[in-house]
Amino acid sequence: MNEQPLFKDGVVGDRMNRVDGRLKVTGAAQYSAEYQLPGLVHGFLVGSTIAKGRIKSIDTKAAERAPGVLAVITHVNSIKVPGFANRSQPDEPPTAGQPLRVFHDEKILFNDQPIAIVVADTLERARYAAGLVKTQYEADQHATNFNAHMDRAKVPAQAKKNPKSPQADHDRGQVDGYKTAPVKLEMEYVIPTEMHNPMELQSIIAHWEAPDKLTVYDKVQAVKGTQRAFAKDWGIPEQNVKVIATFVGGAFGNGLHNWPHETAAIIAAKTVNRPVKLVLTREQMFTMVGYRPYTWQRIGIGATPDGKLVGITHEATGQTSTYEDFTESTVQQTRMMYQSPNISTRYRILPLDISTPIWMRGPGEATGAFALESAMDELAHALNLDPMEFRLRNYTDTDPDNGKPWSTKYLKECYQMGAERIGWKNRQMQPGTNKQGDWLVGYGMGVGTFGANRGSAKAGARMLANGTVVLQSATTDIGPGTGTVMVQLAADALGMPPEKVRFELGNSLFPDAPSQGGSATVNTVGSAVVAACAALKEKLYQLAGSTFSAAKPADIVIKGTQLSLANNASAKVAYADLIKQNNGQEVAVVTESKPGNERQKYSMYSFSVHFVEVHVHQLTGEVRVKKMVACADAGTIVNHKTAGNQMLGGAVGGIGMALTEGAMIDDRFGRYVTKDLADYHVPVHADAPAIEVAFVDKPDLIVDPMGTKGIGEIAIIGAAPAIANAVFNATGKRIRELPITPDKLI
Amino acid sequence: MNQFQYVRPSKPKAAIDARAKDQNSQFIAGGTNLLDLMKRGVMNPERLIDISRLPLDKLERENNTFRIGSMALNATVADDKQVLEKLPLLAQALNAGASAQLRNMATIGGNMLQRTRCPYFYDTALPCNKREPGSGCGALEGYNRMHAIFGFSDKCIAVHPSDMSVALVALDATVLVSGPKGDRRIPFGELHRLPGDMPQKDTTLEPGELITAVEVPEGPFTKNVHYLKVRERASYAFALVSVAAALQLENNIIKDARLAMGGVAHKPWRLTEAEKSLVGKPATEATFQAAAAIAMQGAKAFKHNAYKLKLGPNAIVQALKNATNVA
Amino acid sequence: MADSTPDSKPENPECGHNATRRQFLKQSSVLTALAFTPGPVVQAAAAEWDEKIAAPFEKVGLKLAVNGKNYKLSVEPRVTLLDLLREQLHLTGTKKGCDYGQCGACTVHVDGKRVNSCLALAVMQDGREITTIEGLAKGDDLHPMQEAFIKHDGFQCGYCTPGQIMSAVACIREGKADSEGEIREFMSGNICRCGAYPNIVAAIQEVKTGGQKV
Ligand SMILES: Cc1cc2nc3c(=O)[nH]c(=O)nc-3n(C[C@H](O)[C@H](O)[C@H](O)COP(=O)(O)OP(=O)(O)OC[C@H]3O[C@@H](n4cnc5c(N)ncnc54)[C@H](O)[C@@H]3O)c2cc1C
Ligand code: SF4
Ligand code: FES
Ligand code: FES
Repeated sequence: MNEQPLFKDGVVGDRMNRVDGRLKVTGAAQYSAEYQLPGLVHGFLVGSTIAKGRIKSIDTKAAERAPGVLAVITHVNSIKVPGFANRSQPDEPPTAGQPLRVFHDEKILFNDQPIAIVVADTLERARYAAGLVKTQYEADQHATNFNAHMDRAKVPAQAKKNPKSPQADHDRGQVDGYKTAPVKLEMEYVIPTEMHNPMELQSIIAHWEAPDKLTVYDKVQAVKGTQRAFAKDWGIPEQNVKVIATFVGGAFGNGLHNWPHETAAIIAAKTVNRPVKLVLTREQMFTMVGYRPYTWQRIGIGATPDGKLVGITHEATGQTSTYEDFTESTVQQTRMMYQSPNISTRYRILPLDISTPIWMRGPGEATGAFALESAMDELAHALNLDPMEFRLRNYTDTDPDNGKPWSTKYLKECYQMGAERIGWKNRQMQPGTNKQGDWLVGYGMGVGTFGANRGSAKAGARMLANGTVVLQSATTDIGPGTGTVMVQLAADALGMPPEKVRFELGNSLFPDAPSQGGSATVNTVGSAVVAACAALKEKLYQLAGSTFSAAKPADIVIKGTQLSLANNASAKVAYADLIKQNNGQEVAVVTESKPGNERQKYSMYSFSVHFVEVHVHQLTGEVRVKKMVACADAGTIVNHKTAGNQMLGGAVGGIGMALTEGAMIDDRFGRYVTKDLADYHVPVHADAPAIEVAFVDKPDLIVDPMGTKGIGEIAIIGAAPAIANAVFNATGKRIRELPITPDKLI
Repeated sequence: MNQFQYVRPSKPKAAIDARAKDQNSQFIAGGTNLLDLMKRGVMNPERLIDISRLPLDKLERENNTFRIGSMALNATVADDKQVLEKLPLLAQALNAGASAQLRNMATIGGNMLQRTRCPYFYDTALPCNKREPGSGCGALEGYNRMHAIFGFSDKCIAVHPSDMSVALVALDATVLVSGPKGDRRIPFGELHRLPGDMPQKDTTLEPGELITAVEVPEGPFTKNVHYLKVRERASYAFALVSVAAALQLENNIIKDARLAMGGVAHKPWRLTEAEKSLVGKPATEATFQAAAAIAMQGAKAFKHNAYKLKLGPNAIVQALKNATNVA
Repeated sequence: MADSTPDSKPENPECGHNATRRQFLKQSSVLTALAFTPGPVVQAAAAEWDEKIAAPFEKVGLKLAVNGKNYKLSVEPRVTLLDLLREQLHLTGTKKGCDYGQCGACTVHVDGKRVNSCLALAVMQDGREITTIEGLAKGDDLHPMQEAFIKHDGFQCGYCTPGQIMSAVACIREGKADSEGEIREFMSGNICRCGAYPNIVAAIQEVKTGGQKV
């Protein structure tokens, strides 16, 4: 193992401003719906108004006659998508099953399912005409109420097939061993359906440049995955599908799946033979692009009187659709978070007549942490122990799930940093005893963890004649600052100032990279970028021939368009000469970078802990988060500015999850009744307190050569239970169903 | 949104005529409520009569009475020095509503005439007697967390969402109206209608009537006032319940009191009996609690809004405490 | 300054158009319209008295100054200022996050006041001055608020950012940025789902205390 981080001096670790900051603050950054194409027309989707059944008839005449309308497409007249005929997904997460085939048949599988797209010359006309489409249904009895249909919960298909699958039931030690503990508790926890609600509405411009050549400007987190999906759908070669997602206005997971509206726009573009722009409405964001599933959890937990865990049983059932099995890692962390001889986990999914969920920031882990970290707090209280002390007594220096050592784990350091900054010593052991005027004051903590799941990726590097190096990889930047940190990594890897390095992303024609998800972009794509930089130097070295032959490629110093050696400045070569050497071509490489076999030897995770101080109004039940400290062990921090911002965002997301967010369905109609940003409350400025961020900032050189682990998910995991625990500490009221709204506290 | 004809008369009279002649027309002022509803197909006027530039935006003060033009913007009124000094309760209520941007667009007249935020009213795929008489009340046995505990009927249980109106009813405001049949004055408490058998009719305005101004007497309520709004996030959300409280104190004895609630009925809910109970009593928490108990008499909850039976009186007590600095 | 008329959308000659026009005319009694002092529509209606006026009824003349540039446009009355900016003037810096006044992404200045352009009809802005994010910088010199947003990393995905910045500038001009608490309250009409709030507040405070002219 390499003990030294890759970069000692340089810009890695700096609080560098974002490379795309100027574009973002001037409005020049272009998002999916903002490309001007000649002949562009507008689509508008019509959604079903029943949750289950069949379309009996659909009357599009009035819509077709409306001014400006070019086409009204429904299952009756839609061109057939070749891939729909026998489309099925392999039994793989997230969604085993059959993704909705838009306009394929008359079946209705959820309320507000897209049943028609109206295409018109202007947005106003398309929108108006969409209202003229009249549909008759034959409705079946639908099931949208989670509690009423708990008996339909099932083992996910993949777990049935493979008992070793992470989704399968798991026992370590005695089954439900917590029951043997002297002190034990059993609790149920519920989180409601939560919506990603990125600020940018899901948008796509679909453009058939030729009958077998498709370009989409699409709000996705995976340009390559999208390219493959559409190529398969339309039976055309992958390279004929160009997916552009240069700027993505937030996604939080909802761009990790391809959704029916995308195909609707592509069908429409083919039908009218013009580029079609489709922007979902905010209501449609609740029904068409996934959500964090409503999840019920039960925890049984027991310990000895001196605070040693005896066992934890963690059960969870998450909602999914009837046509796709969405699964996530809700219970897995319970297997590795604390030292405990007995662990049982059981995970089920409950298919309902609702659209398919998709990972939402921190995904299952955030859901699971709400139960686990609340339960730890409850047991600490029952044991009359400080909850941090209780966690320390069950701290584990190896992964108890598999006995492997951690690649790195600095969670204790996080505890210390956080406890100090929040003023943990001010926490009263007795809930409800700390008052400031009309407000009750409470402190709480919650721990988070997420796998450091480096994957494989490719990156290309090209040195332009002017000495600038351009890197490309088909990743995206939904907000974390990917473009910026890649420039930092490349700059240091090349030994060049960041101004001379450019990084391009968000284009499926670039070298292959996975989706931006699972907090794995920096470790995955970063590794590829670093490898590409090394390969570029290697190639320069070879082209330079005898000039540099006494040295190593890594010793090459690039200054402007001059190449020399670190230890021998007189060995010089002009880049222009190397271009000549290279048949007149600028020097370029494409490299792939993959993880090795470290996963066999180590358990690799990021860790975080959130500490919060809340004030709860005694009479109105309003909760104000007064202060929050977010600490993370995320390996090397490539850019403290953007990484810190990630932590802030996760903390704010945690405030929403804990206090304000939850989408309600009226089960009589199977239809959402809180479906815009006035009824579904995401946190606003006034909800966000001062938030302090602290990183351990120690490299994990087992995960990747830069020592990074991952930040995006742990930024939110553990934040919601920290708040719930603080509310308990303030009031003595334990709220086990989120969100903690004022009515629950009065 | 349907296509409509747009006209911009320059005189109130022309606006009133236009509105009276065409059933399918609507006045548009700030547009922040009407356009929202039109985008969702809840309202589909065929003609919009733009009244935003009518010369009705003045803020005048005469004979101890404020006369606020209906086209004055929410933000303008909330920031007005004289309003802040003499009608602080109104300024607080205005600032508790919507956002800075919306308050820059929303007019005083439009604010009081904004329509309910009941989610069934907003979704044309769901039943709603207010939107479509006879289709049923979706909220009655549905998701009624935000709904009324006073003055509802079995036809409609919606609440009126305006914050400003809660302060105005407490301050004994009067609405000035011009219509095809001339001018009239409506006591603020009589502007909004309880649903009864006609939930589709929000107010007592006659077709074609234009609100020209609202008059607010300068009372003694310049100091011990508080507008308390309890909501599901710290700002930019409609009230679960809100309370407008104004007291006149002399040596900590309550000389005069005004109390009204929002988020509990389809009108700003004046609490006259509770006010009476306060007068003559010392400003103590016990006094406030007694008043709050009186205020809640007759309240009745539905499946999801039972919390209002407790939050309501708690909010009254807290508003009165804040108004008087009783710890 | 040169007038420009960027709107030249091809009329769609689809059949049925006329039927709708006729219906439309029926609904909108022209006689009533004539009773008013001239609005743009009424002028058009007065000039002619047959179906040809359907077009003027569907589109209305409109003059706007956007970022200092004068536009003479013809728009359907139902077009919002936001959609006019984005879809017709191709000023896509102003964002659509909800279309219902619930997020602030569409914040622009109209005659110096911050408003939600999604709830403003374009025709109702006739004669007014609009400033969008594209009009904030002076050439290559960023506005101090733009600089501060970059420095404090007041964004992640960047989608709410133009709205935040337009709102932030107005917030200071309105005198509502005297404390962190006040900034948070008066910026609450701008949602940032990425949650960059603390950094946004820091940026505003820096500009405010820096005393630069905004
Ligand atoms: C996201 C959001 C959040 C909000 N939050 C709050 C809140 O917390 N508290 C709150 O109180 N409000 C809130 N509002 C509502 C807002 O205050 C109203 O939309 C606004 O006050 C309406 O004023 P307007 O001038 O824009 O009305 P318009 O939309 O122009 O008109 C509303 C109605 O009144 C009629 N009308 C307008 N003026 C007159 C007149 N002078 N005479 C006769 N009829 C007239 C119109 O025909 C129309 O039917 C919120 C709105 C939004 C969009
Ligand atoms: S409460 Fe009133 S507004 Fe709501 S659904 Fe019932 S009738 Fe409609
Ligand atoms: S788009 Fe206008 S406020 Fe959201
Ligand atoms: S930066 Fe993404 S929403 Fe604010």
